[in-house]
Amino acid sequence: MEILKQRPSRNPKEVLTFALLVFLSSITLLTTLGVILSLVGDVAQFFRRVPLTEFLFAPEWTPLFADPRYGISPLIAGTFLVTLIALLVAVPLGLALAIYLSEYASGAARARIKGTLELFEGIPTVVFGYFALLFVTPLLQRVIPDLNIFNPLSAGLVMGFAIIPYISNVAADAMESVPRSIREAAYALGARPYEVALRVVFPAAISGIIAAIILATSRAIGETMIVAIAAGQRPILTLDPRETIATMTSYIVQAATGDQPTGSTAYYALFAVGFTLFLLTLFLNILAQYVVERYRERYE
Amino acid sequence: MNRTLSSPSPEAFGTDPWKTRIDRTFARALVLPLVLAIGLLVLLLGDTLYRSVSVQVVRADEGPGRTYPFGLAATEVLRQELLARGYTEEEARSLLQDPTERRVLFLQNRVELMWNTQEGPFRYVVTGLRDERVADFSLLEGLRRWEELKAGLGEGERLVLNPWLDQSFLTRTPSRSPLTAGIGVAIWGTIWVLSLALLIAIPVGIGTAILLEEYLREGTLNRILEVNLRNLAGVPSIVYGLLGLAIFVREMGLGPTILSAALTLGLLGIPVIVVTARESLRAVPESLRQAAFALGATRRQVVFRVVVPAALPGMVTGVILSAARLIGEAAPLLLVGAAAYVPFYPTGPLSEYTVIPVQIYLWVSMNIPEFARVAAAGILVMLLVLSGLYFLALYLRNRFRREW
Amino acid sequence: MSLEMLKEHETVRTAPVSEAEALVDVRGLSLWYGKKQALYDISVRFPRNQVTAITGPSGCGKSTLLRSLNRMNDLVPGVRVEGEVLYEGVNIYDPRVDPVAVRRHIGMVFQKPNPFPKTIFENVAFGLRLMGVKGSELEDRVVEALKRAALWEEVKDRFKKESGLRLSGGQQQRLCIARAIAVEPPLLLMDEPTSALDPIATQAIEDLILELKERYTVVIVTHNMQQAARVSDRTLFMHLGVLVEEGPTEVIFTKPKHPYTEAYITGRFG
Repeated sequence: MEILKQRPSRNPKEVLTFALLVFLSSITLLTTLGVILSLVGDVAQFFRRVPLTEFLFAPEWTPLFADPRYGISPLIAGTFLVTLIALLVAVPLGLALAIYLSEYASGAARARIKGTLELFEGIPTVVFGYFALLFVTPLLQRVIPDLNIFNPLSAGLVMGFAIIPYISNVAADAMESVPRSIREAAYALGARPYEVALRVVFPAAISGIIAAIILATSRAIGETMIVAIAAGQRPILTLDPRETIATMTSYIVQAATGDQPTGSTAYYALFAVGFTLFLLTLFLNILAQYVVERYRERYE
Repeated sequence: MNRTLSSPSPEAFGTDPWKTRIDRTFARALVLPLVLAIGLLVLLLGDTLYRSVSVQVVRADEGPGRTYPFGLAATEVLRQELLARGYTEEEARSLLQDPTERRVLFLQNRVELMWNTQEGPFRYVVTGLRDERVADFSLLEGLRRWEELKAGLGEGERLVLNPWLDQSFLTRTPSRSPLTAGIGVAIWGTIWVLSLALLIAIPVGIGTAILLEEYLREGTLNRILEVNLRNLAGVPSIVYGLLGLAIFVREMGLGPTILSAALTLGLLGIPVIVVTARESLRAVPESLRQAAFALGATRRQVVFRVVVPAALPGMVTGVILSAARLIGEAAPLLLVGAAAYVPFYPTGPLSEYTVIPVQIYLWVSMNIPEFARVAAAGILVMLLVLSGLYFLALYLRNRFRREW
Repeated sequence: MSLEMLKEHETVRTAPVSEAEALVDVRGLSLWYGKKQALYDISVRFPRNQVTAITGPSGCGKSTLLRSLNRMNDLVPGVRVEGEVLYEGVNIYDPRVDPVAVRRHIGMVFQKPNPFPKTIFENVAFGLRLMGVKGSELEDRVVEALKRAALWEEVKDRFKKESGLRLSGGQQQRLCIARAIAVEPPLLLMDEPTSALDPIATQAIEDLILELKERYTVVIVTHNMQQAARVSDRTLFMHLGVLVEEGPTEVIFTKPKHPYTEAYITGRFG
C-alpha cells in the first residue's frame, strides 16, 4: 500500500541537513584542538631552550636582556596582585548586590538592576583601562604620593568593578534557586529578612556562590586591556601595589606588539606564558563546575 | 520577592527594635554597590566627554593663524587660507582645481569647525600636519582664562575651543599628529573584520545550537559538544589571539591581515552566539513541534519551517548583542596584528588594518596628553556605536515579543 | 480492582466492530516508556466514518493509545512498542514503514490549541505545502478546509494577513482542526480538544465533530463523559493501561457490563 512506499525521512535533504549541522558543530571542536595545538607546539620549543626549573622558579623575567632570564614568577605575582585587589572589590560588592537581587528587590527594581549590570558587562575593557589610567590613577596619586603612574592598584580597583556583574549574576541565580520552602520556614520562625538572607539563603547557595567567585577569578586572571593600559608592562617580583608591574596578559600584549622574530626564544616565551594562563583558567573553570555539581545535592 | 509573611506589628509582639534598625541599614547597604557602579559609569562618561573638548593655542606652521566664518564651503576656506599664506589668486585656483593637488591639500590640512575661536564662535580653522600646539587647556580652565590667552597670542597663533569629536575625526586616518588623527580607518577596519567574523560565527553558532536543541538533545555527541562549549566560553580572549597568531598569521601564512583577524574573532564569537541561539530555540513551545510532526513533517521540516522562523527574532537579537561584544574586543586582535600605525583605508580581506578598540588602546598608551583627548573622542564614538546596537536589539526584542 | 486482576481480564465487548467496517485495527498493542509499561495488550477496532471516544480516569493511557495510532509516541525517547496497529490493513509499526508517511495520512488536534505563529492561511496551508501543493489549488483547499471547520465566515476577510494567534481560544482550535483536515486525512485524532475551551466554544467544536464524521473517521479522547455521550457512536473505557470495556456509546452509558465501567460512569471514582 502507499504508506509502505513513501519514505520522506530518507530524503537526501534530511541526511544532508543533519550532516551539515554536524559539520558546523565540529568546528567548535576544532577550535579547542586549535587552541591546544597552537600552544603546545610552541611551548615545546620554548622548553627545549629553557629548563622548566628556571621557568618555574627563577625570580626574573627578562627576555630582552643580553643574558635573558625566563622565570615566570614576576608575571604570576603581578597577575596575583591585580586579581587580589580586584576580588577585594568585586566579591563584597558583587555578593551584596546578589543578596539584594534575590531577597529584597521587587520585580521592577530587579529588572532595572539587571539592566544596569548588563550595561556594565557591555562596556569594552579598553574603556575601563582608559578610566583607570587617566582618572583613577591621578586621583589616587593625590592620596598616595609615591604611587607610580602605572600601578596595579588602579587597575585592580577598576577591574573589580568591571567584574561585579559576573559575580552577582551567578551568585544571584544560585540564591534565587534556593527553594521558597526553606525561606518560609525561617520566616515562620520569626526571622527577619537580613537573618534569612545571611543565615539561611546564603549558606544554602554557598556552592553556587563559591563557583561565582572562582569564575570571576578566572576572568580577572584572563583580563588583558585594563592591566595592559593601567598596570604596566614591567615584570618584577613584588607585592607592592604602588609599583609598576606586569601581568601575564599585559606581558603577552607587550611582547606581541613589539616584533619578535619567529624562532627566537622570546617568541616562544610568549606561548609559554599563554599556555600557563590557559592552564590556570581551565583549572579554575573546571573547579567551579566541580564545586557546583558535587555540592548541589546537599541542599535540595 | 520572597517575603511571604508580613512582620508582626511591634507593639503586639514586642519586637526587637535593634534588629529592625539592622535590617533597614542592611537593605540600604546592599544597594551601595549599585550606587558605586552607577557613579563609576557617570564619572567615566563625564570624564570622557570633558576630556574630548579642549581649549588650545595653536601655532600655524604656515600662514597667519586665521579663522574663517561659518557657512563657507570647505574649498573656499582653503582658497582663502592659501591666499593668506602667500599664494597668488591663480596659483590657489589651479591648486584647487587639479584633482590630485586638491586631494593632497586636503590630506595635509583639515578644515575644522571650532566651537569658539579668538575671532568669535563657530568659525572654521585650517589645521595642518605640522601645526604646533603651543598649549592645551582643559575646558574649564581654558574658558576661565580665555581673554588672557587671547591677549597673549603671538604671530601666526590662534586660540580655539576644539571639540575633538567632530566630523573630520570620523573620516580621518590616524596620524602622528593628534590634530589630524582620525578614527575613519579604524571604523572601516571594524566593519570589515566584524562582517567577516560574523560570516563564520553565525552559521557555526546557529548550526551548533540547532543540532544541540533539535536533533541531538542527549547522547554522547551532545555531551562532548556541551562540555567543549563550556570550556571554550571560559577561555580568556587573549588565548584566542595566540591561536590566531600561531595558526592564521604564521602557520597559514595569512599575515597580519583582516582575514586573520576575522577568523580569530569569528572563533571567539561562536560560543556567545550558540548560547543566545539556544535560548531562542528553547523558548519555542514544544506544542508547536508536536503539531508540525503530527502533520507529517520530517524533522528538517519541523525545524526549518516552524521552529527556526518562530525563534528568529530572538536569534537576531542575540546576534546583534554578540556583535556588540565582539566590537569591543581588543586583546586578541592586538596579537593578530591590528598594527600600530595604519594610515590607509583597508581595501580587502588581505589588507592591514586596525579596529576601534585597538586604535583607542594605542592612543591611550602613547602617553601624550593630547592623544588622551583623541582617545576620549574615540571612546565616545565606540560608545555611540554600542548604544546604537543595544537600542536596536532592545527595540527588536520588544517589537517581536510574542504570546505563544 | 488491582492492575493484576485487570490484566488477566478480557475486554468486555458489545457489538464488536467487524474487520470490514474497521479503518484501524489494533491487535495486542503494548507500550513501554522505558521500564514502565503504559499499555497492556490492547485490541480494538475503530469503525469508518464514526466517532469513537476513549475515556477513563487520568493516567489510564487514553492519550498514549491515541498517539500510538499515528506513531507520535515514537518521538519520546526510550519508548518501546509490541503488537500491531493495522491502518487500512497495513501494520504501521512494520519496520519498513516511515512514521512520517503515516502521519501524513492521519490528522491530530491537541488539547491546547497550538496554531503556528504564522498567518491563518499559512497555518492551514502548512500540511498542504508539505505535500507539494501550490498555487491556486493550495488556496482553494485552504478555503475549503476553513469552511469545513466552520471558521471561514469569521476570517474570510483577513485570513491571509492576520496571525493565527490573534484568534480567540475556540477559533484557534477550529483553526487547528482546519489545519489538520486540509490534507484530507481519512482518520482524525483529537486529544481532549475542548478541555481548554469555554462552554460556548466547546459546543461549537462538538457540533463540528458531528459534521466531520461524514467525511472522516474520528477518534476522540475525552475525560468528560457527557461529551463522550453527546458526540460519539462508540466508546472505549480504559483504566491503568488496560482496555476494560468497549461498545456502542449508548450501551456503555446506560447498561455497562463491567463493574468498573459502571463505577466510573456513575462517578464513584476518576
